Amino acid sequence: MDKVIRIRKLTKDIPKEVRLLCDSMLEELEKANRPVLEAVKCSLDNSFYNPKVGYLTPGDKRVRTELNVSSVQKMARVVFMLEVLLANLQSGAVNTKRELCYISKGKVKRDPKLKALDFAGQDESDAIIDFVGDMLEVYREELNCFANDRGGQTYSQQLVVTETLPDDSKAVVDLSALGTTPFQPKNKPQALTLKAKKKIEFCLVVESEGTAGSLVANGMTRRHNCIVMGAQGVPSNGVRGWCKLIQEQLKVPMFFCGDLDAYTVQNIYRTLKAGSAASLIRNADFSAPDVHFLGVLPEDVKKYDLDCYNVNERDPAEARSLKKAKDALQNDPFFQDKKNRKLSQILEWLIKNKKRCEQQAFYAVDPKDPQAFEKILVDKIRADLIFRKSLSCRSPMEGVGCAGH
Amino acid sequence: MRKAVQAIVDVDIKQNRGVVKSKEMIDWDRPHGVRVEFRIDGRIQLNGDGRLLTYLEGTTLVNPHLKLKYRLNEADWVSIDRVSDVLPDVPPATLPHPHTMKLGEFITHAGLFGKTEFGKFLKTGFSRVSDLTLKDLVKNGIPKSMIDAPVNKLSEEQFKNAFQVIGKTELQSPSTRSVLTVGEESLAKSILRLGDVDFFSVVARKPRICDFKPVVVEVALARFLNRGSEDESIQLLRFANRVPLQFDKGACAITAAVESVNWRSYGLPQSKDSLPSGPYVFAVSVVSPFIKFKNASKETIDASDELVEEIRRALMQAGQKLSRHIRRENKEADLERKISHIEQFGPILVDGLVRISGAKESRKIKAQEGLKKLLGRDARDAEADLSDAEVKLAALKEKQAKAGLLFSTSSKEDAVESEVDDDLDDGGEDEEQTGAAARGTGKAAVKGTTAKVVEKPTAKPVATTGKEARGTDKVATTTTTTGKDARGTDKSARK
Repeated sequence: MDKVIRIRKLTKDIPKEVRLLCDSMLEELEKANRPVLEAVKCSLDNSFYNPKVGYLTPGDKRVRTELNVSSVQKMARVVFMLEVLLANLQSGAVNTKRELCYISKGKVKRDPKLKALDFAGQDESDAIIDFVGDMLEVYREELNCFANDRGGQTYSQQLVVTETLPDDSKAVVDLSALGTTPFQPKNKPQALTLKAKKKIEFCLVVESEGTAGSLVANGMTRRHNCIVMGAQGVPSNGVRGWCKLIQEQLKVPMFFCGDLDAYTVQNIYRTLKAGSAASLIRNADFSAPDVHFLGVLPEDVKKYDLDCYNVNERDPAEARSLKKAKDALQNDPFFQDKKNRKLSQILEWLIKNKKRCEQQAFYAVDPKDPQAFEKILVDKIRADLIFRKSLSCRSPMEGVGCAGH
Repeated sequence: MRKAVQAIVDVDIKQNRGVVKSKEMIDWDRPHGVRVEFRIDGRIQLNGDGRLLTYLEGTTLVNPHLKLKYRLNEADWVSIDRVSDVLPDVPPATLPHPHTMKLGEFITHAGLFGKTEFGKFLKTGFSRVSDLTLKDLVKNGIPKSMIDAPVNKLSEEQFKNAFQVIGKTELQSPSTRSVLTVGEESLAKSILRLGDVDFFSVVARKPRICDFKPVVVEVALARFLNRGSEDESIQLLRFANRVPLQFDKGACAITAAVESVNWRSYGLPQSKDSLPSGPYVFAVSVVSPFIKFKNASKETIDASDELVEEIRRALMQAGQKLSRHIRRENKEADLERKISHIEQFGPILVDGLVRISGAKESRKIKAQEGLKKLLGRDARDAEADLSDAEVKLAALKEKQAKAGLLFSTSSKEDAVESEVDDDLDDGGEDEEQTGAAARGTGKAAVKGTTAKVVEKPTAKPVATTGKEARGTDKVATTTTTTGKDARGTDKSARK
């Protein structure tokens, strides 16, 4: 099997750690003591945000699972899954979470003694895999478990990607030579090196993949030295890692454009910029702290007279989103940080006005001009860059574009 | 030989009244009773809300003294025996309670007493008014001169003032004798007739004033082994003065009260603002001389806040008792789960650890022994919890047995859960349950229905409990003769 490329240089020997862990558990059992499994608590109440670090980091809280009649099932499942993952690591095989669920089912089918371990659904096996990752403090990719590819379709006339393959051969992808096909980063780790044929002015991440495609089809990447990327909703690990790579290797200003609603601000943008509370141990490699929120901003609604929708509080999804926005203001360290005051003001505006505005509303500004949206975006980006240059520093309001100031 | 009245009663659907035909006196070999026989000919739907079988079940439940025998089409005869042979006391006529009247009614009532002194009028015209009460009324603001003044000399202003003072003064609750309650004991016996009962709880509240009228709420909650399912809503049986309410369930005070209770806290699954789910039957009986219905057909009790609250309290009391059984079951399930977890997962866990760490067989055996010790401790804790719950339940049953609410004749004696309501400060003289009077509840509202009645009337006065809001008899009731109470004969004819 191919050698699996690693995301980071891992000092841990995972198989050795697993064996030691199991040995110590066995030792405790021999002494009739209760073995304990500990994992980082991945939740908002154990999240910390420091703008200098740039992403959510875990606190000291741990989830302790001590063996008793209630936890014996979970412990047995964890050990069972460790054995499956260990076998993968040793053979070099890789799987998705769903495949691991079926592998588990297959093992149970072949060994009647294991019947009690059978997972009723993928959610149960996913929870165990996540716990194993949090317990060993390793990424799931480091356990050879990869997610499906989603989002991150990237367009540029200047970007050249060089991929080092497991056999050390190189594959060079010139994005300008791909025609209408985008370059898509994978959720599986890739050894990529980025190069710009010309100086790239900015990188724009658009929430809607369709809108990103329209901007490119209307010639944005031909007219501007830029990278345009579609996030396709909440950014996957692949997209987050890809943005981080662009930020680190090309050092180009990065902007995010999405809807003006609570879900976009707190779920999509926050996850791209600072990671999520559910994946605290991986935010270092899966977030792009320099990305700025370009809009839609509340001031854009007024300035461009954008069409808004009233939030329907009877719709459970929208009501939940509003409630989550209130919770975020009270509990999310990212929005509580004073550097992100502008972002929390957006949430406050959304809660107060109970309105939402889609990114596509910019197309109503000048319906006759297919480039109208592009022009607005470029104007906002340039205004932001000038503003930042004038300050000779980063935007005073971390994370929010200065367009409109 | 005793004599009884035998008659054929036809129902005039258009006029909604019974027409007595072929009335005659016959010999009667029993001391008392009523026997009603009728045939229903028409399109009949049997199961579900508002259907015939639900009606028969409801009637059976609230009439423990009733022996019901019926046959549906060509099916076999179904016979449901009576569970109470206690002759119910027919409630005596009772004077109105001062708190049950509005001002206009109060003045009109006073008009019947002419020159009688106001104090005497209060004492003789109302129940629960004594000399002590009069002193309290004077203390609370009625002038002493007014107490001695003739009623017909009092002005409307004086009546208004007196009425307000009476309203503010605390009086004994109205008499329970004025209402025909089923009683906890009878209800507990009767519910066993509905099917294979797993366990149940019954609660009969003391009378309360709701919307100026005396009301008694009785509740029976039962879980059945052979009806309903965990996913279905509970079956709600509603009764107003022992008459099953069949239609328009959604607007009824009883439904509103059931939905307002948080049944999840008693261990029953429930979606928000809806009936709980499970194989349960909830029977709620509201008894009052003045039930306010929502419609002319008297199918829905008006959901006033006071009445809903009273029903809600009764339901919550019954729910608390029910939850003791459910909690014990949960403990039992918990113990079972824990024991099965030990057996299932323990060896798998040890095997997995041994395989991964590459340990020897001796370590495996030692670890298995250690695991058994550990998990055995947990199982023993769970066993202790369960026996605690069982001891508490047994103590409760013992208490109830002393109160005469457990029935050794029933195979379901362990299932009975009932408690006399003692959280009210009502004067206790009326706690005697009146049981069921010999009243036919046959509701022959089907076209072409006729009934033949054999009846031996009673010397005791018929229950004139004020304006009884709902006559339960659409077939026939009293007429004639002698002696003591009557019970039905077999000699009735069928038309």
